[in-house]
Amino acid sequence: MSLEDVHCKTEFSKGDAGAKMTAKDMLKITVNLVVIYIIGGLILALVYATTSPIMFKKGEEEKQAALKTMMPEADTISAIYQITDDSIKSVRNEGVPDDVITQLKNLSKEWFIGKDKFLGFLQEKIGTEKSNQYESIFLKSFKISDWYPHKKHAEYYVAQKCAEVKVKKTTDEKTGEVKEEKECIGPQDIGYIAEGFGKGYSSYINLLVSVDKDFTVKKISILHHAETPGLGDEIEKDYFLKRFENKSVDNLVVVKGETKDKVEAISGATISSRAVTEDAVRNGVKMLKEKLSGGVKDGSHS
Amino acid sequence: MAHIHKSNWELIKNGIFAENTIFRMAISLCPSIAVTNSLKNGFFMGVSVIFVQVMVNLTVSLIRNFVNPKIRIPIFMMVIAGYVSIIDMTMAAWARPVYKQIGLYIQLIVAFASIFARAEVFAVKNKVVSSVCDGVGMGIGFLLAMIIISFFRELFGKGALWGFPIVSGNPLLIMVLPAGGFFAVGLLMGFFNWVDMKLAERKAATETTE
Repeated sequence: MSLEDVHCKTEFSKGDAGAKMTAKDMLKITVNLVVIYIIGGLILALVYATTSPIMFKKGEEEKQAALKTMMPEADTISAIYQITDDSIKSVRNEGVPDDVITQLKNLSKEWFIGKDKFLGFLQEKIGTEKSNQYESIFLKSFKISDWYPHKKHAEYYVAQKCAEVKVKKTTDEKTGEVKEEKECIGPQDIGYIAEGFGKGYSSYINLLVSVDKDFTVKKISILHHAETPGLGDEIEKDYFLKRFENKSVDNLVVVKGETKDKVEAISGATISSRAVTEDAVRNGVKMLKEKLSGGVKDGSHS
Repeated sequence: MAHIHKSNWELIKNGIFAENTIFRMAISLCPSIAVTNSLKNGFFMGVSVIFVQVMVNLTVSLIRNFVNPKIRIPIFMMVIAGYVSIIDMTMAAWARPVYKQIGLYIQLIVAFASIFARAEVFAVKNKVVSSVCDGVGMGIGFLLAMIIISFFRELFGKGALWGFPIVSGNPLLIMVLPAGGFFAVGLLMGFFNWVDMKLAERKAATETTE
């Protein structure tokens, strides 16, 4: 018996069912598969459509909560606003009328730290009514403290301490409610906070990093990641995050084994450690240094 | 299939003892080594698996008459991946604190052999109630195995349990590293085999004396 015979025999016994399959059977199977997959896809789409806005909102809330802990000594943590030619264009696309656009074009191009200050400036220059009407569009379009690590939207902030905080109490005459308005007098920049993304072992690691005015790292807080449990997820732990304290950009380097001035990797999770240190944190600090070096100059904002 | 004649209770017990995923069938060994370096990890992984296993068994059993046997594999894949995604998204939206704890584990389950094996071996051939019971049994069996392995690994490797220090002194670091996982699984598997043999011997002895 030749080898070929053996081959033919096994082929025959194995492919019994396959040989009988007609075009109709194939069509049936295909339709079967497609229908079940479409149903599955629809269910997933439905679940995603209902959960994703809530997921996004909760994520945003958590970020805001984490932001407050990044610099406990700061009185305000604010985004930066500036009127630029590009953002005026995007405001126009949002449907803001031409007369407001012309007013905006004549305004100064200085920086404003904090949305209250920026809105105050707008109210003064273009009138309370108009600035209130388009408030959300203005805030979205004129915010310049955005950056895009790994093509993802991230933000950065300025942390300020006030020389004095004045609390204005106003009583609403109709309801009798007492409202407290805090006014910050003599704000001083004490540090900066950046949101960053790092490409880890199995996910993008999303975090916040705060630095002082010399751009040395103060604190890190991991917002989201999907690294391996038991190995990569150690990046969340305090003992690892403490290794970043008081490190400058040059020392944000991962080292295997003990080190004094660099960052020691987590054993078994070098990729995740690198992603946090050399991707997310280092790039975040570098970006802050590039954009805000020398501080946001006093006088460039009112 | 022999399983069909078993009562629901027997099906659950079968998953926990006779066909325990890790110590008897030796499938899904990857999570039993990767996520058992602390009791907390092992516990949450086990709980997540129970849930996915039951839901997958239920669904596969429900749709078993509509699925052509030739395409069952891709359908099972979709059911498993679908459940994992649904659970992941739902928890991220409505159960944030739980999600923070077990979100990472849920995603890993997509690739578990044990889930797939039960869909292929049991759920696709059996009625809904039996399949759910089988899922519960297999899930609990997996959870218990994870708890036992991680209990010893964390105790010997870190001198702690659930993150709380129990024993002071120098722990055996190797037990929390991947190599320790192999030791723990191997030794425990050996131990359970030994117990099995002893039980069988005793049974044989009592039978002969009668």
